[in-house]
Formats: sequence, structure tokens, C-alpha cells
Amino acid sequence: MPLKYVINPDVCLKLQKDKCGTCADVCPANAIDYTQTEETITLNAGSIVFSPGFKPFDPSRFDNYQYANYPNVVTSMEFERLLSASGPTHGHVMTMPKLPMKPKKKADKALAEKRKDPKKIAWFQCVGSRDMNKCDNAYCSSVCCMYAVKEAIIAKEHDPELEPYIFFMDMRTPGKEFEKYYQNAKEKHGINFVRARVHSVTEDRDTHDLNIRYADEMGQIVDDSFDMVVLSVGLEIPQETRDMAEKLGIDITDHGFCKTDSFEPVTSSRDGVYVSGVFNNPKDIPESVLDASAAASAAGDFLADVRGTMTKAEEKIEETNVIGDPPKIGVFVCDCGSNIAGVVDCPSLTEYAKELPYVEFATETLYACAQDTQDKMVETIKEKGLNRIVVAACTPKTHEPLFQESMVNAGLNKYLFEMTNIRNHNSWVHKNNPEIATEKAKDLVRMAVAKAALAQPLAEEKINVNDTVMVVGGGLAGLTAAKSLATQGYDTHIVEKKDVLGGEALKLYKTAQGEDVGEKMAALVADIEANEKITVHTNTTLEGVEGFVGNFKSKLVSGGNETELEHGVAVLATGAKCSEPTEYCFGDDDRIIKTLDLDKMLKEQDAKLDSVKTAVFIQCVGSREPNRPYCSRVCCTHSIDNAIELKKRNPETDVFILYRDIRTYGERELLYKEARELGVIFIRYEVDRKPEVKVEKDAVKITLIDHVLNQPVEIEADLLTLAAAIEPRKDERLANFFKVPLNDEGFFVEKHAKLGPAEFATDGVFVAGSGHYPKPVNEAATQGRAAASRALTLLAKKDSLFTSGTIATVDQEKCSQCGVCVSICPYNAPGFAADGRFAGTAEINPVLCKGCGLCVASCRSGALHLRGFDTNQIFSQIFALGEVV
Amino acid sequence: MSDNEIKIVSFLCNWCSYGAADLAGVSRMEYPADIRVIRIPCTGRMSPKFVLSAFREGADAVWVSG
Repeated sequence: MPLKYVINPDVCLKLQKDKCGTCADVCPANAIDYTQTEETITLNAGSIVFSPGFKPFDPSRFDNYQYANYPNVVTSMEFERLLSASGPTHGHVMTMPKLPMKPKKKADKALAEKRKDPKKIAWFQCVGSRDMNKCDNAYCSSVCCMYAVKEAIIAKEHDPELEPYIFFMDMRTPGKEFEKYYQNAKEKHGINFVRARVHSVTEDRDTHDLNIRYADEMGQIVDDSFDMVVLSVGLEIPQETRDMAEKLGIDITDHGFCKTDSFEPVTSSRDGVYVSGVFNNPKDIPESVLDASAAASAAGDFLADVRGTMTKAEEKIEETNVIGDPPKIGVFVCDCGSNIAGVVDCPSLTEYAKELPYVEFATETLYACAQDTQDKMVETIKEKGLNRIVVAACTPKTHEPLFQESMVNAGLNKYLFEMTNIRNHNSWVHKNNPEIATEKAKDLVRMAVAKAALAQPLAEEKINVNDTVMVVGGGLAGLTAAKSLATQGYDTHIVEKKDVLGGEALKLYKTAQGEDVGEKMAALVADIEANEKITVHTNTTLEGVEGFVGNFKSKLVSGGNETELEHGVAVLATGAKCSEPTEYCFGDDDRIIKTLDLDKMLKEQDAKLDSVKTAVFIQCVGSREPNRPYCSRVCCTHSIDNAIELKKRNPETDVFILYRDIRTYGERELLYKEARELGVIFIRYEVDRKPEVKVEKDAVKITLIDHVLNQPVEIEADLLTLAAAIEPRKDERLANFFKVPLNDEGFFVEKHAKLGPAEFATDGVFVAGSGHYPKPVNEAATQGRAAASRALTLLAKKDSLFTSGTIATVDQEKCSQCGVCVSICPYNAPGFAADGRFAGTAEINPVLCKGCGLCVASCRSGALHLRGFDTNQIFSQIFALGEVV
Repeated sequence: MSDNEIKIVSFLCNWCSYGAADLAGVSRMEYPADIRVIRIPCTGRMSPKFVLSAFREGADAVWVSG
């Protein structure tokens, strides 16, 4: 579906009543076709990826919050638009945003006069989530706590006098870097957090301010007044998605989310149908991106046998050699409909361009990017023998590749192209000054022509890719990645320092969905060991890595024997480990254990469990503390799962969970609900009033202040399980080998927190598993697949991987061997030539060079050049600007 | 450069400020038309020679952003 406007047939006057037709009259591209009707297209596909997304919960049906009636009660999605620079108020928050900005109705006009900048805004969490009374959404929507905190911070940054209040039940910020964000919101930004579920909202009829009433943590009724209330609406699966799922024949849960196995977390109940995104349980952006990559890997695995059988080879057009020819420049001025031509005098700009040096041809086009214009451009280049092209249109950031493709089609090197931005940087921002904008456009075209005249054809060097893969770490994430890569035909080596595969997952009893982890891991390990494409190196450590994307050489050491492995990509899946608690008398008594110890007892059906009368779990042991400020993400679900297990084994057992916030995100919330129904007692404690543990002969005594009674409570337990924090391995040596970063806590830092969650900024190196951040079984498997998927996109391009043309080069005769470029480059692209005539001078590895030009600017000998942005080209633009015209 | 208007030569990094200038356009913000943008791949590419040369060519100000 192209990103283009469409007509809504339900409201179009032309289609409904055969009136109007204005859009066809005004569209300069004649793109309006009223005769188009719905078509049925049949596609034959081997795999389907189903990512239908969600709908924000509609709070109109709640009468207590009066969203439908009060102008100052808005949804979080509406507030998000209000904060956006491209939103209705250009990012300026004001009350009554649901009214039209320029109201026409009399009643609306009267209301709009009372608009003001809000000074006090309340966010209500869990609207349409974790709620079985007013709606049927028992699950947690996972994302609302974070977005509410974000919205509050942005609103407060916009107006420092604003008082934001967030009313919540549990603050759920279990994602990477999220807990710190929450703490900063409280401490640095002054966001107020109130643990309360607001009962109702009433409106001051005159001012339209909102009065709310809630019970505070002490049970006192509080009345307060706000200018605006934002409802943090949850994520919901709409009926049409459920219908679609039924048509596809895939199983869904009661809430409409897809049912998946924890070890194959993107595979639906039907072979060949894969799912990603919120439909596969509520999730945020990085999780959705991981899901998407994982679904691509799963869909690819399923089709591995027939891969490449339906591809067509691209026809290659011979490149014309223009070296030595005088520049013959063609200038294409784009009207962009009226976007540019409505402000800039394009005909006079075109005439002006014709007079510039080396310009052979200039023309005005309605839309330079339209396919017919592109075809014409190719024709013109051939017909007029043009050898440099300048397009004066929009931004090269979006459109340069398109025009470069036309260059290639016309037989010209794509770097003989120059684009200048007379729309975003000119007509759109100077729309009230058409004359000045036209003058500016002339300057911009003159500069572009001057630069283009100096453009040289640039070569893109082929990157040789060794398609062997090395996976470091034989835990669940690493094994999942290896299995996918091997299934898709790549030789994969797993390097594991221990003597067995499986990692920390081997210590787990069951997943949150009840799958037996031991059984599943055994099956996975058996698959790995039986796979001919996979070589397992147990008892092996990695002692050195050389090279770069496509060409790594790693030194493996096993029992004193050293071997070298050549590989093209690497997946780092080194995992994390359980920390050793330093509090709550851990180590003093064998009744005080860690979560993994309890898993072991459950796995082994330990007889000691039968005699447990009172079991207590303490959460956040070592997590969310100053020296370990992150949330370990998995512990709430894990403890609740084990509490349920104990209750099920013996309903008479008293089970207590002492917690700070329960963070059972997504459908894990149902476990929390089940635990409460089974009689597990949850007592919240504050971090500055932690439970006290005393070991006595008969029992382990735990004392804490009960959050409801505000009285000390004493529990005599015979089993105390500590949810100890998950700790990264903080492997700085490994990080250095691949030049990948670690964060303050020692977790790997991915390429992009949202959009690149399974890869590093270093090309050819990928990340998966708890080494990135603590994660449960299904998320480790997802990231394993996602890392494999990202690696596969690189490996699949094996024969068509080229460097960029715009990289640094060395004029070795001028190089004084000072070494500044070698030391200054953040990507290690420059080095010293080892041999040959110019031994000792700088040379650039084109594969590593990102084309930033830092070395070029720092070279005191003028030996370095940046192709495409060479010094003479930048000067030519400056000089062109200086010319008096 | 003509004498009666201010000219600001702007060197904008392709990855951030140039994109921001694009976004200013998308958001239909208005600003004085005194700037002329030269797109550079990174502010690391900037050399003092570019700044001096712009002034020599009559620029009233040079703006490097990245």
C-alpha cells in the first residue's frame, strides 16, 4: 500500500451523490479516479506474517470518567498528538483539545473562549486494562506506565510550571532503562506519583475544571481539582482481528491475543502463519521490532528449501565512462504540485538554471519523482548526452536513492547526482515571502550546479562476506539463533564455555505459560546436536577477534588447544546470571533460598516442600536499588508462578509475596489474578521500610509494615524465597573484541533502543538474550530469532554487498604518516599500509569507513579526501554563494 | 552576495540537523530566509577553512550544526 491519499467512499459527495468533484479538478497530477472499485487479489504465499496490531481502548463506555461528555478528559493517544510538533496545537498543550482549533458552532466557540494552558494535569493509569469490573480486559497493556511518564515529562518540559500527577496501581517500568526513567521522573522532573485508583470525575460547570475523588494509601478520601485528565488507555484486540484470526485458523486467547509457545514465540497454532506485535501480546516498540524480525526468521525457516527459486535477476545497464569529459549538467526543477511552485517562481528558476556554467539542459517538472518524469529523465540523459544531474526538489534524505536509480538506468554513475532542497528548506518555510524564496532557490541551484560540476564517478567496493556464523553463548537465545541460521543453510558455530548447552534456562522449572523448561530445552539441544550445519564448541572460550563485517577471525581455546574460526557475522548471546543476595540473612539458614533454588526443588519434587506450612517470597532483592537501579523484569512473574505451584501442591500452605510493585505485564497479569484467587497474600513494602528477617530455630521470622493496616506484621515462615536480581556478565573483554558498548550496569548496548534491538552499531555483530537485558524464556527465544533474522538479511546479500561510494580515500604521496587519522577515527577505518611502495602511510578500509569525514578534516597534509563531499566540492558551494549575480 | 541582506552559511550534518531542517519544513515552521544550507556528512567533516572561506565570501555568520 503506497503512502498516498485515498478517498473515503462513505463520505465522498461525488461517490455518494455525484456532486462536488473538486479534488479531480484541483489535482495537478490527474491522480483522482472515481471509477476505481474494490478488487480481490489472490497471492500464492508459502508463509504468512500476521501483524494486525491493536486498537486503543475506547473509554466512552465508562460513565465515571465522563470521557464522552467532558471536554477536558482526553485519552493518552489524544494527548500524544497534543504534544507533537505536527499535532493540532504544534506541540503547545492547551485545554479542550477535542474541540476544533477554530470552532464554527456557537456552543463550541463559547467553550473555546475558556481554553487555557493547563497548570495541573492528572493521568489515570489502567483505563481498559487490569479491569474486570468495568470492562473485560484482565490483562496489563504493558506500555501505559511508560508512555504516561513520558507524556508527563514532555508536558512538564514544555511548561515548567505544570504539575503533573500520575494515578497508578503498580508502576510497571520493567524494560531496559525504564526504571531509571521512572526514578528520574520522580526526582529530577518533579512528576507526582499517587498510588490510587480514582473513583470518579466531576466537572465544574463554569470553568470546566475537573474534580476528582480518590482514597489515598492511608485510606483517606482526597478531593482534588485538575485542568485536564488524561486517560491512559490500554491496548485492545478489535473484533475484526478476532474474525481474521478465525479465518486464518489460528488459536487466540480469551482476550484475543495469539496463542504461541514460549519456545516458538512467533509461531501461531497453524504451520506457516507467524505473528508479531501487540496481537502477539501487548508490547512496546522494541519488543514489537524484535517480534517482527523473529517472525521473518520463522517464516524464512519454513521456506528454507525453496529459497531463491522464484527470484528474477536484475538487468544490468552498462555504465558510461565520463571521466575526462567536460561536465554537461541537466537541471530538473520540481514544482512538487503547488508545494514548491506555489511559492517559488519555478519557470524563472528554470530559466536561471539554464544560464549557469556547464548547464546543458534545464526543465521544470510537475513532480520530479513521478514514474513518467523518471522515465523522461532517463531519455533526456541519453538524448542530450548529459553526464551530471541536479534535481531541485525536496530532501535527498528521502528521494536521493530514487533519482540515483534513474541515473543508473540511464547508464550514469549514481554519484554524478546532486540534489538541492528547495521545498523543505525553502518553499515550505518561507511561504509568505515568494520573492525571497525564489532568490534563495536560485542560490541553492547555483550551489548545487557548482558542486555537481566537480562530481566524479565513484566506485562501490564489493564486500566479501564469509557466510559462516559464530554464536557466542549456548543458552536459549544463542541456540534459538543458531537453529534458525542453520535451518536457512548457514554453517553455524556455537561457542560455549561450559560443558553443556542450555545455559541458565536449565535451572528453570516452568515457563509462565506452564511449559516444562527442562523437556523443551532437551529437545532444543537434541535438535542442535543433530543439525549437520551446526558445530558445537563446548568448554571453549573466545580469546581474540580480528577483522570486521564479513571477515572476522576468532581465536577459540579449548583445553589448551587453540583454533581459529573464520566467520562473517557473530551473535553475542552470553546471557546473565543470578546475583547473590547480601541481605535478608541469605546464607545463614537453608530455609532462606533464591528463586532458582526453589525451581530446583520443584523440578526434583523435593520432599522438603511437603512440610512447608508458610512460604514467603521477597521481591526486588538487589534490583531497583541505588547500586543496581534496573528492574530484573522476570522476578514478579516467576515468584507468582512458584507461589501458585505451592498453593496447588498444598492449598493449606500460607503463601505471602512481599513486593514493591507487581510487574506482571501483558497476559502475565492473569497469573497475578489467579494467585490472588488461590489465596496468595500480597503485601507491599516501601524500599525505605524493607522487611526484616530473623532466623529462629522454629521459623524464619519476617516483620514488615502492612500497607493496608499500616501496622507491623510478623510472619513465621519455614521457607523464604528471595527474588534475587539478575546480573549481567559485564564481559568487557568480549565487548572490546567486537568493539561493542556496555551500559553502566554491564548490559550490552544495542544499535538503537527502539529500532535496532537485536544488533550492534558494529556491522555484522548481533545481540540476543539476557546479556542485553534480563528476559523470560519467550523473550529470549524471540530475540534469538530476531538476531538470526538480522544476521540473515546481511548474509542473504552476500553477493551484492557493497561499500558506500562516499568514503574517505588517501593520496598516499601526500601522507606524512602522522597517524592523526588512525587515532581519531571512531570506526577504526584508517590504518598504516603494511607493505608496498607506500608502506607506513595511511590507508582506509572501505568496509569500515562510514564516510563521516573526520579524518579528512583532521588531515594536516591534505592527503585525505572524502569522495562525494570533497574539499573542492564544499568550497565550490561556498564560492558559488559568494558570486555576485 | 548582495549587500542588502544578511547571509548565514549553514553547515548541517546530514544525520541530524539537516533532517531537523527538513522537519521544520514538514511542520511548516517559518523562519527568515537568510540561511543557505550546505549539507555535510557529519560535523566531523568541518574544517576551519570552510568557515574562513565563507566569511571571506561575504557571509555575515556561519552556523555549524550537528
